[in-house]
Parts: sequence; structure tokens; C-alpha cells
Amino acid sequence: MTALYINDEEVTVTPGTSILEACRENGAEVPYFCYHPELSVAANCRMCLVEIEGWNKPAASCCTPVAEGMKVRTQTEALEKDREMMMEYLLIHHPLDCPVCDQGGACKLQDYAVEHGASHGRYAEMKRAVVDHDLGPFVSTCMTRCIHCTRCVRFADEVAGTGDMGVLDRGDHMRIDGIVEDCLSSELSGNLSDICPVGALLDKPSHDVSRPWEVTRHKSTCTQCPQGCDITIESRGDEVIRIRPEKDGMEPWICDRGRYVYDAFRSEQRILEPKVRESGGLVAASWDDAIGRAVELMKGKRVGIVFSPDWSVEGLTSIRLLNDAVFEGAKVAFDLHRRDMRSFAFEEGLAMTTQQIEDSGQVVILGSDLRQRLPVLMQRLRKRINAGKPVSRIGAMNYRTNTEPTKDSLIRPRDWSAVIAFAMQQVSGLGKTAAGMDAWMAGVEGRHEAGKLLADALMDDSCALLVGEEIRSHEDAAALIYGLDLLMRACGHAEAGKDGRNLISEGMNPQLLSSVFGDVRTSAGELFDAASNGELDVLLLIGSDPQGDGLFSVQAKQAMDKVPLVQVGAISGQISEYAEVQLPAAAYSEVEGSFVNMEGRIRVAENPLSSLGAERPLWKVMMRLIQDMGGDIPAVNLDELRAHVIRFAPQMEHAWRSSDELMITAARNNTATHASSTKAPSRSLDLISRYSMYREGAWVRASDLLSEAGCLHALDDVLVHPNTLAGAEGERVVRTSSGEQSVHVGSREDVVPGVLFVAKRGVAGDLSSESEVDFVGGAA
Amino acid sequence: MSAVEQALPQFSSKRLEEIKTLIARYPHSRSALLPVLHMAQEDFEYLSMDVQKLVAKTLGLHLMAVREVVTFYTMFREKPCGTYLLEVCTNAGCMLNGADELVRHLCDTLEIKVGGTTPDGLFTVTEVECAGACAGAPVVQINNAYHEKVDAAHMDVFITEARGQGGKK
Ligand code: SF4
Ligand code: SF4
Ligand code: FES
Ligand code: FES
Repeated sequence: MTALYINDEEVTVTPGTSILEACRENGAEVPYFCYHPELSVAANCRMCLVEIEGWNKPAASCCTPVAEGMKVRTQTEALEKDREMMMEYLLIHHPLDCPVCDQGGACKLQDYAVEHGASHGRYAEMKRAVVDHDLGPFVSTCMTRCIHCTRCVRFADEVAGTGDMGVLDRGDHMRIDGIVEDCLSSELSGNLSDICPVGALLDKPSHDVSRPWEVTRHKSTCTQCPQGCDITIESRGDEVIRIRPEKDGMEPWICDRGRYVYDAFRSEQRILEPKVRESGGLVAASWDDAIGRAVELMKGKRVGIVFSPDWSVEGLTSIRLLNDAVFEGAKVAFDLHRRDMRSFAFEEGLAMTTQQIEDSGQVVILGSDLRQRLPVLMQRLRKRINAGKPVSRIGAMNYRTNTEPTKDSLIRPRDWSAVIAFAMQQVSGLGKTAAGMDAWMAGVEGRHEAGKLLADALMDDSCALLVGEEIRSHEDAAALIYGLDLLMRACGHAEAGKDGRNLISEGMNPQLLSSVFGDVRTSAGELFDAASNGELDVLLLIGSDPQGDGLFSVQAKQAMDKVPLVQVGAISGQISEYAEVQLPAAAYSEVEGSFVNMEGRIRVAENPLSSLGAERPLWKVMMRLIQDMGGDIPAVNLDELRAHVIRFAPQMEHAWRSSDELMITAARNNTATHASSTKAPSRSLDLISRYSMYREGAWVRASDLLSEAGCLHALDDVLVHPNTLAGAEGERVVRTSSGEQSVHVGSREDVVPGVLFVAKRGVAGDLSSESEVDFVGGAA
Repeated sequence: MSAVEQALPQFSSKRLEEIKTLIARYPHSRSALLPVLHMAQEDFEYLSMDVQKLVAKTLGLHLMAVREVVTFYTMFREKPCGTYLLEVCTNAGCMLNGADELVRHLCDTLEIKVGGTTPDGLFTVTEVECAGACAGAPVVQINNAYHEKVDAAHMDVFITEARGQGGKK
């Protein structure tokens, strides 16, 4: 540790800390613009000057490391003079238009001008004006206000990895520019408005809407992906103005999906009152009538329940309570992307925290478009890559990561077992083995050399495997995942009976779901088939949209054509065409509740926004249903409900009783083993359902802002290697079992041949659930 | 995308060889940016956006990284210009020594605006930030030569001579 004096007070800090950081840590105020804890040091604003005894000039504290015994002063008359001059300099071309600037009230420039600036400007010459840029739907600009701190440029280079912001020209002509084809290419672009210390880069959707002092802040959790970022929802009354990363939250950034989904809260798609179907249309009804109708449809019937994993822990548990109280033995499903439902695949979530992943010796991404799926985790990995630490990837496409992985291997989904077997062969050649590994290896015929990459990484002292959707949605997922577990054990990254693997879940709360629903869960596909085959009488859909998301849209449609649908949720969506009854449940912004993210981190939301209409927290809707179906109500308040949660997941107790132990682990099935399969794939081409962060999920589809971004970042409906469907690029008609539809076929060299990446879904059917696909006029 | 790429101008294969040798000299291809930009300007006369894209692609850099360097140095041109490019420094030192009057004088004499080129294609006048020769203020850089402590009369002589040579440097 280094000891130094700040304003005569002795403090100790880690060696190598900058003086500015030492001051911040020890409560000594030093003004700054260009410094940002998450970015490299640029030292170009010169606002952070301090005096150091024995130095004849003031020093920029952000780029001067501390030294033993250094005597630093942050408040002297000379410094005040310097700061005044710096402010005068920075403000020379500034339009001084605070009254019309969104940043006003939360602006460093404004604050420091008051604190350190002169009360009059002396500059009487012409000021320059700078042209604004169109940076897409999320960021608006007023470049004349820019002070050239280059935070945004460093953000684009270091954090987003897109490098699409830059400094052009020099001296007085200097300006910040963004290269834009249509909009900024980063999925983290919304952070630019937070990072700009002045009013140059602003949040476009909330432009001219409110003032920083008018908003109320609500601590909440984003449920738009399993990362579950800590967010602050800023509202005025019941209207959400903005969503931002929580200050001092786990992650400094949030993605555009989580940030801009808020316009869906007030969209026309919101279910804000109970509705029942009458003469063909859905019409508003009282709670009593709507519940009555739902009970009529479901009482004494064979019910299939499909729900979204993104409800709060309390909401999810209440679904289980409903099931136990009145639908004993009902089929329950929540996973719309899983084909293989064998037990291993139940156990999801990460075995490591994101920090542990970032810090481990090796990281291997196995079959995941991580930038789209988990943009914030991908950002952590980018940080790793920039720091020279390896991140390798095996997958069916060179998924864009904005910063290239260190090693990369393209394989077809059917080759996963050969990859794992080859890795096993390699590590056992080096003397690493685990019980069951030889048998698993022997069950696989082929070997794929991409396994070398995996084996190399596993031989490191620490290795994080990120298991993505290509494996998770694989027909043979359980066996593959078991194979990976064996590898982890063999190489000493997991003890016997543990897996140490990080299986990326489809939605939130994975650990909790395996505890609460592990024993009643089935596959959504099977459930829909059961409904179509007359084994179920009615479907209860709770927040899930199997038509817009997942692999089973065709089966879902067939099922709903057959049996009536009771819809409980916050977003209506296309699926509402089938609903006989709609019961409104509160959005994640409107509930007091707990959420568990993929790491198992628990977060409790306590000051929710008020409801917009007649919607109620999900658990209340469930209790009402239990009551009217004639069951005993298991809980009448949140505390009683939480007692039930604890019954399923005892670790949750900590989150509500004390504030330290905030992680839970999944109830893992340690005994199941799955032999590698020798089944030959049924079709000649592999199908992978491709994920777009701007289109997947009912909330996102209800958001105009994200839909606009979705159009700008549109994916090809079908993406292939040019040799897979020679000359097939462009608009094509495709014939599936559910009819013909037109799709846009694109091609890219860095997709593995033999795979169709399918992004289009809709009424006519999801290609990825087809066993035979026929491109009219082309081969498949 | 491939259509756009095909439309980009191309380096000759000889140039590409030279660039390869050059890149090999440095730890990062980025370090070769300045010399490659000089080559590109020699080959294509000026650095249009397409040429900048070509350079970015050749060196594996973000286009923005190329744009930053091209715009920073006034020796790189993004637009075609006259035979004589008169770059007048108007930064503090030169301004105090009469740069503004000099610019006005040049524009009046040549009947063009700052940034413009005379109809005969002989002269282009631009304002630049500090040319790094403040001791000789005011400074005008004409093509690759610095002209220091210049005044209106000096420039008149230069213009007359240049015109006399009919555009041959
Ligand atoms: S736009 Fe904002 S963040 Fe970017 S350089 Fe200017 S002041 Fe800094
Ligand atoms: S990364 Fe995921 S949890 Fe975080 S803001 Fe984006 S969608 Fe929400
Ligand atoms: S914060 Fe130190 S120079 Fe900007
Ligand atoms: S101010 Fe003109 S050369 Fe420096």
C-alpha cells in the first residue's frame, strides 16, 4: 500500500492508483470531465488539476500515480484560479444554452461552471457551431456543446468495440464524429448519453420530455435477458421516462434492449383491464366476470400451463401454488427453446459469477451469439480480450462480437459430440479423466478437431465454459451437457458430482425455476402436441408468447386452434387472437418482488411504479384464481407467499431476512448420466434458430423504439453459407408443412456450410421446427 | 455489402507488395497507417471516403481510425484541390501576426472563398490550425513547402509567378 497525504490527511491506497482515484476514494472533491472509472485515461480536459508539494506546476491528477509520502492539495487559491481558467477555456465555444438542454440539472459542465467558473465571459469573438449527427434512434446530438473529453470515443473503442466514434480535425476545428450507415452499430449505444458529461450526446427517446429533478427513481431489475441487470427506472408520475443502469450496480452499462423496452409499458399491447371474448372480439369486463369466465373454462378440465420465466420469484411460485391447489398433475412448461427435456438439461444458470468468468484463465463460448443474447456479459469478455486474455469460441457462425475472439472454430451442430469426444481424447492423453468419460467417448464415432481448442482451454488452471443455445436447443442436449460436465471434472474444474459449467438459460430465474418446477416441468412442444391430440382441454398462458418466440410456434398454433386459451399477462401480443379471457398482470416495473439472475444473484425491488390500469401483481391473480376455482388460498400477503418460496428454495430466505447472502444455487440433479447418442441426424441440413435482441420477447415486440432499431439491424430471415444453397440469396419462397411463405435468404462466408440460420417466425410457421424444408426452386 | 466492396478503388499489386513489406516492419498494422496514406494519396491524388475505406480494409482498421488521422494532418486531402494548395495557419500565433488579413487578401485576389479552388484549377486556399512553426508566424504552407513571415506582397509575387508558369510546379 502507498501512504500519501491529501489535504494534510494521511491516506493509504493501492500502489499505482491515480491521485484522482485516491481523492475519490477518500472523499476529497476534485472536478473532472474526461476521467471515467471504466475507460482508459485520456487526460485531455485538464480539469482535475491538483497541487503536489515540491512540484512547480499543478498536475493532472487523473494521470499522475500516487507516490509514497506525496503531499497533495486539492483546494488552494492558485488551483481555484486554474480551474476558473480551464472553465473559461472549455466554455469558449459553448452555446451556454442550459435552459433548453436536457442535461441541465445533471451536467458536470453546469455544476463546475457554478462552482469554479467566472460569472462573466470575456470572449467576445465569433463562436463556432458544429454540425450534429444522426446516430440512430437512441442518441441525439448537439455537438456544439461538446467539450472534446473523448469519453464517447473511448467508449466506442474499448467498451462497445465498434470504434464508430472518433475525433476529427484538430485544434479549433476539432469535432467528434460518428460513422453511421444507418445507426450506431453497438447494442450498448444507449450508454453514450449517460457517459457524455455534458449535453452533447443525449437520450433521443426522452429528448425534451422532462428535467432531472422531476423524476422519481425506482430500483428494479431488468428481465429482458438472464443477465438481470440492476436498473433504475426514472418516472414522472406513473410514466416511465428512462431506464438507466443503477449507480453502483453490478455492471456499469446496460444494453439497448433493457434500456428502451420501456415504451412497451404504455403501449397499446399492454393488457390493462380484464377482457373476455364476446361475439368474436375481446371486450373489457370486470374482474369478477373475467375470472368467472376463466374458471368456467378451466374448472375440472385438463389444463396445460405455459408461462414465461421472467416473472418475479413470488409470481412464479404462485403459479406452482395454483398448479398444486387446483390443477394437480397438470402439464407445466416454461421453456420455449428446448427440444431435449432429459434431466440434465433442467439445471441451468451459471456456476460462476460474471466476475469469476472475466477473471478465469480461459473462457470458451460454446455455440452462442453472446453479443445478442447477453450483451453485458459479452462486454465483460471484450474487456478480457482487450486486456490480452484469451476468449475462444466454437460455433456454427462467426457471430459478430465487435472484438474478435482469440481463437475460433466453425462446426455444425451435429458435430458437437465429436468435438467433445475429441477433447476427451486429448485430455485423457494428458492423463486427465473422470468416471464415465471413457464410456461416453466410446459412444461417439467421429472426432472433430475443434475439440483441440476446447481441450487446450480446459488444460488451463481455470477455465469457464459458456454453454449457449446451439447446445441448449440441441436434440441431444442432455448428453452433450453431460459430456461437458465430464470434461470439467476430468480437468479438475469441478468436483465429482458438480459440473462447474455455465449453461446460459433462456430467461430469468433459472436456479429458482429448477427448484420450484423441477418435478412438474415438461417440454412446451410436448404440451402443445398433447393439446392438439385431445389430451388437454384448455391452455393457460401466463406471460409467454409461444407464437412469437421459441421453437414451437407451429405446434402452439395447432394447439390453440384446438383448445381454448386463457391468457394472463402484461402484453397482449399476436397470441391474443386466440384468447377467450385476458387477465391483466403487472409489469416487472410495477411489482414488489424478487428476481434471480443467471448467476443466482437475488435482487429485491421495493418501490415499484404504480399501476396504469386494473392490472394486479401476478401472485394476486393466481390467488384469486385458486379461490374461485374452489381451492384453499395458500397465501394472502407477500410474507406468506415468501414462506412458500422458501419451502421450494430455502436459500431465498437470506435475501429477505438479511442483506448479505444474496446468491442462490440451483437445485442440481447430480446423479443423472446421459450416454452419448449414436443417432444420425434426421435431416441433411442443420437448423439453428437465430436470436435478435430487438425482436425476441413479447415486451420487445411491443416496443416501438426497439422495433425501429430492429428494422435498422434486421437479420436475414434465413442465413446460409453461399455453398449451402447455391445462388439462393434474395427473396425466396419456402414450402413448409404449414404452407408457403416468402423469406429473405442471405449468405455469409463465415457461416459453417450445411446450416440454416433461421430468424423469421410467424403465423405461417417457424422453419426451425420443420423437419423438412423445401426452398422452391432450390435445394434443401 | 459485397457490391459496395467491389466498387472500392484498388491498390495495384505492386503497391500491395510495398504495403505488406511496410506492415511487417511494425508490431501493429496500425503503425503503417501514415505511410500507407501517403501512398494512397500519391496513387489516387486525394483521399476520398472510398480510398479511406480501402486503406482501412487493407490495414484491418476501423474506418474511424483512418478518418481521425486523415483529418488531423492537413497534408492529407479529402477533396481534389488546385495545383497550389495554400494552407494559411490562422491559429493564435499567426492570427496575432496578421493571418486573418492574409486570408482575406488571398481570397480577394483569387476571387474564391476559403476552401475554394480558382476556376483555372491553379489555387486552393484553406485555413489550418497551428502549423507548428509559430516562430515564423504568419505561416502559409504551399504544397510541401513552408513560407514563413509572409505578407500580402509576398503572396502577390508568388501568385504572379505561379500563373506565369501556367500551372507547372
Ligand atoms: S460528445 Fe460528450 S462524451 Fe463525446 S467528447 Fe464531446 S463531451 Fe465528451
Ligand atoms: S443485458 Fe439483459 S438484463 Fe441487462 S439491460 Fe440488457 S436485456 Fe436487460
Ligand atoms: S480528468 Fe484529468 S485531465 Fe480530464
Ligand atoms: S500559430 Fe501558426 S504556426 Fe503555430
